[in-house]
Amino acid sequence: MSKPRKQQGGNKGVQLAAGPETWRTRIEALLAKGKSRDAVDIAKQYLKHAPGVEAEALAVRAYAARIAALQASGMHREAQALGALVSERFPAHQAQMAALMQQSDVATGNFESLLASLLHADPQRRRDIEAMLARRLTDPALLAASPALPPDHPLKRAAGVASDLFTAVTSGPLPPGALAALDVIARQSPLAPWKLLIRALEAFYRGADDAVLANLAAIPADSVPGRLVPVLRRLVEGDDPSAARAVAVTTLIEQVSGRRPALQTQLTQLSNALAARDERRALAAVQALLVLLRSAPVAVRRTFVASVLHHWHRHNFSPQPLLRLLPSMKHDPDILRLLALTVERRAWDEAVELWEKYVHAATRAGILPAKGPEMARVLLHMANLFPADPDEVLDTLGVDSEQELRQYIRASDMPMCFDRAALLERALKADPTPSVFRALVDHYDRRGEAKRAEVEAEAWHQAHAHDLEPLLYLIRAAERRGAVRKALNLLAAAEALDRVHPEVRQSRFRLLLTGAERRIKEGKAALALEDLEQLAQEPRTSEGDHRVYVLALSWVAAQQRADATATAHYEQLLSTTAANPVLQSLVLEAIGTALKVQLPRTPLAAASPEQTLAGLARACDLFRALDRPLAVPTTLYKQVEPHLQQASAAQLHSLCAGGLWMQRPALTYRASGYGLALHDPLAYRFLLARGRALSTALHHDAPERARLCLRAARELASRVRDMEAVREASEALATIPSWGLLEAMITGTLSPPEEEALTQEDIARIIEDERQSRTTPQFPAVSSIRKRRQGSTRRQRRQRRMFDDLFSMLPFKDLF
Amino acid sequence: MDPFAVLGLEETADDATVRTAYLQALRSAPPDRDPEGFRRIRAAYEALRDAESRLDLRLFGPAPLDDLATLLEVFPEERRHVGPDLWLAVLREARR
Repeated sequence: MSKPRKQQGGNKGVQLAAGPETWRTRIEALLAKGKSRDAVDIAKQYLKHAPGVEAEALAVRAYAARIAALQASGMHREAQALGALVSERFPAHQAQMAALMQQSDVATGNFESLLASLLHADPQRRRDIEAMLARRLTDPALLAASPALPPDHPLKRAAGVASDLFTAVTSGPLPPGALAALDVIARQSPLAPWKLLIRALEAFYRGADDAVLANLAAIPADSVPGRLVPVLRRLVEGDDPSAARAVAVTTLIEQVSGRRPALQTQLTQLSNALAARDERRALAAVQALLVLLRSAPVAVRRTFVASVLHHWHRHNFSPQPLLRLLPSMKHDPDILRLLALTVERRAWDEAVELWEKYVHAATRAGILPAKGPEMARVLLHMANLFPADPDEVLDTLGVDSEQELRQYIRASDMPMCFDRAALLERALKADPTPSVFRALVDHYDRRGEAKRAEVEAEAWHQAHAHDLEPLLYLIRAAERRGAVRKALNLLAAAEALDRVHPEVRQSRFRLLLTGAERRIKEGKAALALEDLEQLAQEPRTSEGDHRVYVLALSWVAAQQRADATATAHYEQLLSTTAANPVLQSLVLEAIGTALKVQLPRTPLAAASPEQTLAGLARACDLFRALDRPLAVPTTLYKQVEPHLQQASAAQLHSLCAGGLWMQRPALTYRASGYGLALHDPLAYRFLLARGRALSTALHHDAPERARLCLRAARELASRVRDMEAVREASEALATIPSWGLLEAMITGTLSPPEEEALTQEDIARIIEDERQSRTTPQFPAVSSIRKRRQGSTRRQRRQRRMFDDLFSMLPFKDLF
Repeated sequence: MDPFAVLGLEETADDATVRTAYLQALRSAPPDRDPEGFRRIRAAYEALRDAESRLDLRLFGPAPLDDLATLLEVFPEERRHVGPDLWLAVLREARR
């Protein structure tokens, strides 16, 4: 019975002397309002005041309402207890109570009375019972094991099949054909939803997601298996991390899906927190993820830490709270390495310091050997972080010179790791590989310490005798300082290693030629002739007019030696080979000037206009190929100019290139004009030459004309895939001041207006305009000399330490 | 993604171990069924197949992930058989 309680408003106003009608009205009103508890209280008073059949019936109605209310709120055990008391107190109403109790029995997993009644139920009652089973049966095993049903009852057998298959399908892969047993469950059976659920589970574990969804769609939402429909959908379609879930659902999803859903949730939260720049939330997500990844492979954990550091740095978050979450750097130097890798994307100097700390910590921890390829790679990496421009290094470190930097390092005002050469020397000690030698030689070479660079190249050659690279460097270095003989000896060693290497093949001709010229200049004519005889055998001597140059040198050497026979011999050969008095004269004139040797003049007047034109064109090609200066008398230009119209396209090309080579843009301008008039397929080459010549002209419209010529040349060259010409045109264009860029700078707009691509009509018009431009513009007498950029007098160290505070908290004070 | 993580290898793995792990990983992502997974596994193998690449990765890797969700790639979708109890617990809890 209900506990005694203070009388409430519900039964106030009911007079004990009131008639039965008043009591009934009052009780029914309370029942109608759903106030079953108050109705029970009033009914009890009524029964006490006027016991009888009517009062008893009213009391049982009130109790039945109360029991139903308890069932509705899931308090089945309380409902069962109350029902038992009512049955005992009012035996005449036991049947009514029994029906009510059955619902609570079912709800608490006790189906026995329900199943017992099934055996003798009429069709309507049977349908009701089956509907209740579909809505209430949470495990077919209960049905299968029920003593209320005989062993051969179809529902019991079907429940057995469903129970066995449900256990099997959730415990491991089913054998083929196992699902056929489900055929015993009819479509109208209360177990039909279980049949669909088992099929969905089988498809789920098989990875047949379409079949999973199809089976789930057929499960009635109010059936017990229907409760698993949203859970299976989440497992198939991906979990929504933000969705609220019951504990059992969360446990099931985690157990079935492994760590993935939890990781996904936390990674999403971390990404959202980073996007919202919410450092606190991001930290919480990192903390959760570190726990989730605790048993993940090392490589995964490291990727996570590297990524978090990267995002932290990018968002400029405070590093300390994050570093407190990560493993101690003292115990895991790898964190330092990851920090260095993060920082090096923005601040090379901070990164070099962090790498240095990593080297010390990792060596001490025994994870980085003090010697060997690993140490060399780290030190080389540190050296490679330095900017290529030495001024930028000094700017960043806030010092004026290399000397000042070394002083600071010596005085321990700056860490040792800022001495790049020292880093490379350490790398060399750790592992003297070619890559370390290469970096060291390059370092000294770039800083103008040629002798030191040669010493290192020599050491490289000694350490790696079969490596061609140090030999090539030593050859170039020897040639640079005029030690041609030494260069030739080194070349012999290089040829022994790799005779077909392009630089090796080119070097012998170049060195022998330089050697012969040098010996002539020194008056060692006999030795020069020896070199020249060797040179005559070189394959490159047969290229172009190279032989003319070699024979001219031989003639000069023979003259110097006062050997009349040899002189006559070489003169004859030179004359025959050159077959052009102008070329011969220009070569001898140039050699005489360069080597400071007095030579008899060849009269140019004897040459025809065609010979003059051809001779100048060939000389232009020869001296460009040999990289030797060519001086052409003004009178010769004057002789050539009136006859340019008769020149072939090839000759005009040579003159265009030669004009630029000799810094005679006027010659290039005129030759390109005639070239454009020829309708040559290589017209873009003439446009390129004219554009380059115009870019140096003094006329006010010359830059714009140059720009148009070069753009047209680039467009035409790209169409025929002449990428060399495209590159030349682009480089030349880059040297012409752009009004668009200037305007953009003045007006503060972000970028200059983009130039529209030239159409075929535009290009035809540009070519036609240039053909018509016969007047040669004025060109400067001497090309302007590029002034060296002056560095700032006092460099200020850039304040860009994102991780400034980090250094103060590193637990490595004892290491340094 | 770190190639060591993709192939589930330790940094000390040698050439033979790398190849074995690669062939094993390929079974879970054949090119016809999972071209994206195959591409990832192949790229990881290429990055680890010689000792020098492995050294470089060990010293200068891994590359950070711009998209943190990429980390999930190494946690393949799992469908574990956990027995009937956890499933039934959901049904019972939902009833309450």
